Amino acid sequence: MKSLTLEHASFWYPATEAPALRDVSLEVAQGEIVALVGALGAGASTLLLVAADLAPRVTGGRLTGAVARRDRSGIVLPTPWTQASGMAFTVWDEVAFGPANLGWPAHEIARQVDRALEQLELVPLASRDPATLSGGELQRVIIAAILAMDPGLLLFDEPATELDAAGAQMVWRLMRRLAGEGKAILLATSALDAVPDVADRVVWLEDGAVRAVGAPDLLADVAVCEAGLGTSVATVWRASGLPGPYPPTVAHAVRRWR
Amino acid sequence: MIPALCFDGVTFSYGAVPALEQLSFSIAPGERVALLGRNGAGKSTVVRLVAGIQQPRDGTVWVGDWDTRDCVPEQLAWRVGSLFQHADQQLFAPTVRDDVSFGPRALGVGVREVERRTDHALEDLDLTAHAAHHPYDLPPALRKLAALAGALALEPALLVLDEPTAGLDRALSARVIRALLERSAGGVALLVVTHDLTFAAEALDRGLVLDRGRLECDEPLAGLLGAGPRLEPLGLSPPPVAALSAALDLPDRPVRAADAARALARVARGKGAP
Amino acid sequence: MTRLHPFTLLTIAGALPALAWILPAPAGAAATAAVALVLTLTPGASPGLTGIGSSPGWRPGLVVLRAALLTAAPFWVFLLLLHDVPTTIAIGLRITTMVASFVWLVAALEPARLVEAMVAAGWSASVAYLFAATLTAVPMLKARAQRIAEAQRCRGLSPRGGIASRLRALRALALPLVLSALHEVDERALALETRGLRPGIRRTTLAPPHDPVVERAARWVLLLACPAALVWRLL
Repeated sequence: MKSLTLEHASFWYPATEAPALRDVSLEVAQGEIVALVGALGAGASTLLLVAADLAPRVTGGRLTGAVARRDRSGIVLPTPWTQASGMAFTVWDEVAFGPANLGWPAHEIARQVDRALEQLELVPLASRDPATLSGGELQRVIIAAILAMDPGLLLFDEPATELDAAGAQMVWRLMRRLAGEGKAILLATSALDAVPDVADRVVWLEDGAVRAVGAPDLLADVAVCEAGLGTSVATVWRASGLPGPYPPTVAHAVRRWR
Repeated sequence: MIPALCFDGVTFSYGAVPALEQLSFSIAPGERVALLGRNGAGKSTVVRLVAGIQQPRDGTVWVGDWDTRDCVPEQLAWRVGSLFQHADQQLFAPTVRDDVSFGPRALGVGVREVERRTDHALEDLDLTAHAAHHPYDLPPALRKLAALAGALALEPALLVLDEPTAGLDRALSARVIRALLERSAGGVALLVVTHDLTFAAEALDRGLVLDRGRLECDEPLAGLLGAGPRLEPLGLSPPPVAALSAALDLPDRPVRAADAARALARVARGKGAP
Repeated sequence: MTRLHPFTLLTIAGALPALAWILPAPAGAAATAAVALVLTLTPGASPGLTGIGSSPGWRPGLVVLRAALLTAAPFWVFLLLLHDVPTTIAIGLRITTMVASFVWLVAALEPARLVEAMVAAGWSASVAYLFAATLTAVPMLKARAQRIAEAQRCRGLSPRGGIASRLRALRALALPLVLSALHEVDERALALETRGLRPGIRRTTLAPPHDPVVERAARWVLLLACPAALVWRLL
């Protein structure tokens, strides 16, 4: 079942000539994780804002083409500290802020908040003042806060930038679990090496348009590597002069080596 | 020779919360050091101590032959260029060029010298095209580069950077790597806090690993980054190139992409291409 | 004091300046100014106005008072330049009441409690949040100012020295503070949409502040005192 469908979507920010998105067609099914990769300014963040119904409704600008959503969406921005309410006494309150705004009954809010805190391993921090959290802790809190609103379509824009290796691993594993529960996930990330273990499909964006779509081994594709968007392993393999197809991960490389 | 930076038994806490415990290490001019560790291990505290924003409770932080207790941050700017987290929110001039040149101007070097340092810093990070732009017209990633350029323009003997590549894509990270390698070749010492072990492998040589405020490791990155069983308890994991070298048992276990590619080619020629 | 209902705190912070202007100076204004300044001693160490970097040497309980006095001081200076002494005292005391009341309100009123109180009273969440956001603006700006000031010092800007260099430092701080704050307002508007703040949905109150009858009565008394004082003055 398709959670999100974009058909020939083009988007211009206000007072801008050049479109940020050009004729993008994309589908994300429930239970699927789609990763958006591209250089800075390629349009991944804009695509997520359009998917979240924030562009053009809140950002302004012009959208042509069709966007269809089956589920409520939740988006984690690349600047999670801006999403903090600024008026929660504790992490628990902060995560409850969203569900409370949605008008849910108190017991339902408690259930969702407790579950989200567990999923992000935040239970020990539940009574902390959000203003005292480190960048990485706050990023996890905001992810929990968005999850607590129980969206069917999850949009992540660089969710692991502030996290250390263990934190990032936890987030990628969580995403796979959420997809397993039927959520549709669209992820914009520059952590190319993590993508093969997380995503079911990869979309390569260039200058606002879809350049290629494929399985995660797209990140070992010749053209992708040439554009500087290949995984580290694929890039090294290519640089060594060994013939393709290049292995996207260490595990693939080991299998090829034997 | 006086080290560029020396921590001598430094202890620090935020109120009652301990942050650093008896931390001791020193960095020679031209050395490139990565400061690694979990979130909350104390890395950002080290940066603040070096910049002189905070003073150690016990022990001493030496920047060259200056004790940071005797200095204020604006004095330390003569020797230390710092980049803090969320540097993209700390720009304050009407144009990128004005912001980058702020440091050398504040130091009082001559007009021509200010120009030279500013141009050099902008070129190093490929920002010359944006020099006349307002900082907030640029995306956060480029603003971060502008903030780094501001630190480079001080032309200090020591650069201490907190997550310089967080939020940057591959291409922009490559600019940072190039700029840092060029500076250190000129004798500048680098202390870089980072989660990005791929960046650390490419730009830096030595790794200091903090865990709960204590120094757990102080050794060359070349050996450290491939040692999975040692990294895991410290909350780290080998970056892909190091993991590849270990998995394929490449000679000398290279951790840099170019070295690994060469080693891979050599071994492949030896055994016939797979 | 912070356990009082948010509407009570708002009423006090509104009534004191109103009475300051209505009642005859200097006695009336002096009385309200004194009350307002005494109030600033009550919240204790408020997380909003204190924090790492506040000047040492002032006991935490006096921080709010210090903020009020420092904010009011420039007004006194301008008044002295423009007016004679009696007028200066009269207007100065009234302005001091206004400033101290506002500073006290920011320190004593917790934004989350205000949102809960307003939503419980029937206001929409977006409007409540807007009100509360003006309260969080002060500590947020202060935190941001501190970060920017630190970054500037690490590039060589000295905040010490004579008046000229201090003014320069202030100007170097003011512009980026305003610009980055404005920029952030844009980002925050977008970000808060992501947290479900939409018009038309009735927000769930999780912990509405307790509103005892005594307080409600006291609020009405204070509110009525203002027009009553006005009538008394006119007669």
